[in-house]
Formats: sequence, C-alpha cells, structure tokens
Amino acid sequence: MQLENLNLNYWAIAPEIITSLVGVLIMLVDAFSKRGARKPNAIISLIGLVLALISVVMLWNVGSGSFFGKMVVIDPIRIFFSITILIVSIIAVLLAEQFLRDEGLPPGEFFALIMFGTTGMLLLAAAGDLVMVFLGLEISSITTYVMAGYRRYDLRSNESSLKYFLLGSFSTAFLLYGMALVYGATKTTNIEGIRKAIETGQITYPALLLIGVAMMLVGFGFKIASAPFHLWTPDVYEGAPTIVTGFMSTAPKAAVFAAFLRVFVGGFDVPVAGIGLQLHETWISVLAAISIVTMTIGNVIAISQKNIKRMLAYSSIAHAGYVLVGFVTGDYAPVAFYMLVYSLMTIGAFAVIQLLARAGDQRTEIADYAGIGFEVPQLSFPLAIFLLSLAGIPPMAGFIGKFYVFKTAWDSGLVMRYLVVAAIINSIISVYYYLYPIVVMFFRPLAPGFVKPRVSGAAAFALILAVFGTLYLGILPNRLLNAMGRGMGGQQAQVRVINR
Amino acid sequence: MVPLSWYLALSAVLFTIGVVGVIIQRNVIVLFMCIELMLNAVNLTLVAFSRFFGDVTGQLFVFIVMAVAAAEAAVGLAIIIALFRNRETLNVDEADLLKL
Repeated sequence: MQLENLNLNYWAIAPEIITSLVGVLIMLVDAFSKRGARKPNAIISLIGLVLALISVVMLWNVGSGSFFGKMVVIDPIRIFFSITILIVSIIAVLLAEQFLRDEGLPPGEFFALIMFGTTGMLLLAAAGDLVMVFLGLEISSITTYVMAGYRRYDLRSNESSLKYFLLGSFSTAFLLYGMALVYGATKTTNIEGIRKAIETGQITYPALLLIGVAMMLVGFGFKIASAPFHLWTPDVYEGAPTIVTGFMSTAPKAAVFAAFLRVFVGGFDVPVAGIGLQLHETWISVLAAISIVTMTIGNVIAISQKNIKRMLAYSSIAHAGYVLVGFVTGDYAPVAFYMLVYSLMTIGAFAVIQLLARAGDQRTEIADYAGIGFEVPQLSFPLAIFLLSLAGIPPMAGFIGKFYVFKTAWDSGLVMRYLVVAAIINSIISVYYYLYPIVVMFFRPLAPGFVKPRVSGAAAFALILAVFGTLYLGILPNRLLNAMGRGMGGQQAQVRVINR
Repeated sequence: MVPLSWYLALSAVLFTIGVVGVIIQRNVIVLFMCIELMLNAVNLTLVAFSRFFGDVTGQLFVFIVMAVAAAEAAVGLAIIIALFRNRETLNVDEADLLKL
C-alpha cells in the first residue's frame, strides 16, 4: 500500500481522539485532586462527551469515505450509532455522580472507564476492517468487565463481572477464529475487500468462508445476547451495579449492532450467483430463526421474573430479537432508529431503578415497588413511560421504532412476513410483563420500609433527557427519519449502495 | 515444507481443546488458560495464512490480538482476585449467588 493511499485525515477520528484524551485527562485530574472528589471528573467527562457529539455531527461535512488505509469509514451507520452511544454515555455520566456518592466508591476510574469504553464503542461503530472490529469490541468489552465488578466488596458484583468476563472472552475467541478463517478465504481483512472477493468469486476455499461466517455469527450473537447465546445476560445484568447494567445493555450493544450490520449486511450479504447466493440464503434463514427464538425466549421468561433487573435483562434479549428483524431488509435506518429508541428507554428505566434501589441495590424486587406510584411521582411516572415505550404503546418512541422495523421487513418480501407476524405476537405477550410493575406501583398498598429516595440535580436532568427523547421520537420522529432516509451526499440510505 | 493444511488442522485441534476445556473445567484459572489457548490457536491460523499468502495483514492482526490478550489477562486476573478475596474459592460452580 502506498503512503498517499492511506488517506490520513484526523477529522475522521476526531470523536475517538477527544474521548480517549479526555479519559487520560480524567485520570491525571483524579491523581492530583483530593480523594473522592467527583465533580471535576464528571464535568470534564461531560464536556468531552459533548465535544465528541459535536465532532460526530461534523463528520457529516467530511463526507462519506474510508480513511487510514480503510481502517475507519464514515457513513450514516457510523454517524447515527455514534450519536446513540454518546447520548447514552452522557446520561450514564449524569447518573454516575449520585451513584458514586451514595455507594462511596472511588470516582476517578469510573469516569475514565466510561470514556475509554465510549472510545472503544465509537471505534467499533466506525470500523471498516475486521482488525478494527476486534480492537473496538475488546476495548469496549474490557472496560465493561471492570465496570460490572465496580462494587468490589459485593459478591454479586464480583460474580457478575466474572461471568461476563469468562463468557465474553470465550465468545471473542469464536469471533476471532471466524475472522481468521474469513481472512483465509478472502485474503483480506477489509470489509469492502471481502465484499469484492465474494462478488467476483475470488474465494480460496469456500468451506472456510462458510465456517468463518458461522463462527463470527456465534461471536456477535453472544455480544448482542441473542438466543441461544443469551444465558449470561440475566446473571450479569442482575449482579452489576444498576447504572452499569443500564450502560452496558445499551451503548455497547448499539456499537456491536453497528459492526454486525456493517460486517454481515455490508460485507457478507452479496446475493450473486455461487458462494454469495448460498451465503445469502443461509444467512437469511439462520437470522430469521435466531430472531424468532430470541424474542420468544426473552418475552416468555421475562413474564415469570420477580426481580425488575432480571425482567429488563430478558426484555433486552427480546428487543435484540426485534432488532434482528430489521437486519433482513439490508437497510441500516430501521436498526439505527430502533437502537436509539431502545437505548433511551432502557437506560431511562435503569436510571429510575438505580434511584429507587438505594445503596447496594437493596430494593430491586418488583414487590418493593408496591404503592410508590403517588409517593414519588417524579420517578414512577418516568418509569411508567419507559415501560410503556418498551411495550410499544403508541405515543411513545418504542411504538415508532417497532413500527418502522416491522414495516420495512413486511415490505421486503413474503418470506419475511412470518417473521413480522412472530414479532407482533411477541410484542403482545410483552405487554403483560411491562404493565405488571405499573399496576404494582399504582394500585397496591405501599410496601413496608419505603423511604423516599433523594434525586440529585444531575440525575433528574438525565431522567428528563431520557423522557424527552422517548416522547419526542414517539410524537415527532419525522426529522430524524428523514435525515436517516436521505443518507449522505444524496446517496440512498442502503448499506449496499454505500459500500459499493 | 509443511503444507498449510497441517497448520490449520493443528490450530483447529488447539481451539477445540480450548473450547472443551472451558466447558468441562471448573477452576477459574484453568478456564482462563483454556481461553488463552483458543486465542493462541487463532494466532497460529492467522500466521499460517499470512505466510501462505505472502501478505502481512495476518501478522499485524496477531500483534493486535496479543496486545489485547495481555490487557484481557490483566483485567481477568484482577477480577479473579477480587472474587477470591470475598469468597476464597476458585471453583466457578460455587459462584452461584445469582441463579441461572
């Protein structure tokens, strides 16, 4: 490769540069400030995240293309998923301040970990090469392993962290082996190059390609918690501190979905004659099967949960199933929109649970929510909005997200209609367990031992942000949908078109 | 010269040993070693392909994998130490506070 072909453009990785430098800065500030000072770190990371958000929006002007020897790409997938990741990180930082004070945990590392994790996720969403996919995935995973075990003296937190770590690295090994085999089959690790190799039929060993793709599917399946690779999710989500659960069930998942979309839909899904067609047909049927099994398992098991964090863990499994419905269309926009909506309502719900649970996550059973509806309306009404949105009730964003995904899949062909029917039946099942906590909150006598929780200004602002996002995207989604539909530089919004 | 398929077969066997180890072993440290074995099997595959194609990408990939594996080892051992301090066992079956 010639040096001039590298296309070095530091504006193309400005968001990642900002977040990683701010992470280093936080560690320095923490080393020199007095012990347990939270405010400066929180403020620095907020400034960093907002600057990163601005630079992501400015990527629009850089224009689509690939940079740094095709390691990093700019396309609508990257921009919209990066916005989702940064919004979630901002909400997490706003909530972290009160969490760290209530629990008396060291503050510096937590903010630094959020910043480094965000860097990894942004890189993952920007990856144009399997090497970058691996690197971004590992940066975001390793930081979340540490965050899951952040409550160091709590056994549940230790266990959650250990399980997440063991199963996470186990799945990474599968993903990596898949990447190695795909490299062996196509002689390249570049996603665009893989696409070209499949298109022109320049595959060294077709069997290697199929095995490699299957291995990568297993690896990604673990990371997005789709069935049958979902078993770690409830344990990890229950044991981790609630704010970390909220963070890791949204931002890393959105980033993995971005990479999943780019690698599978943009790289492997080439319906041309020969190996490409074979791969396409297998991929669609496997995807449909995984999607149906994932949402059914998630929804059915969620019904019987007594702990609200476990219930939301199974709900997040079910939502991964809905998102996979959007994959069959080959269009990125429904997936990106759904992940934004899902992230807002899920981290919002976990924020309320965090505030109600008090230090040490003592009150996370659904029974603990009895009768609090009119005692703390500032928390119970947002929780009700998030749960109704997760169920997909119309004025909320969850409805538009589901509608958009299902409508696109319905229009894309007869085969996919079974998938849409299954998804709609599943959403109806899910209404039961989303409404149950609302009924308990508003129509039961007050649970004993309830103390009104204190809500800090930053946490209140985070909640307002999530509620506003959920309602705004539910009532006036047009502006965002139009921006997604336009794509960049007049191109169509399809992944296929952009990668060509 | 040793043909490519031998290297691939060796790395597939190593990977399988790692997978089986993760499934049947109960000691956290051994589990962790099995995962490292899987990663090294992948490294062998990458290097073999890289040499076979005369293409340097695979070898660069191996460097990144090794760096990441080192970071993962640091974090993993820290997590294991934190668990051991609170529970004094390395058996994963005894880490059963959260029901599966």
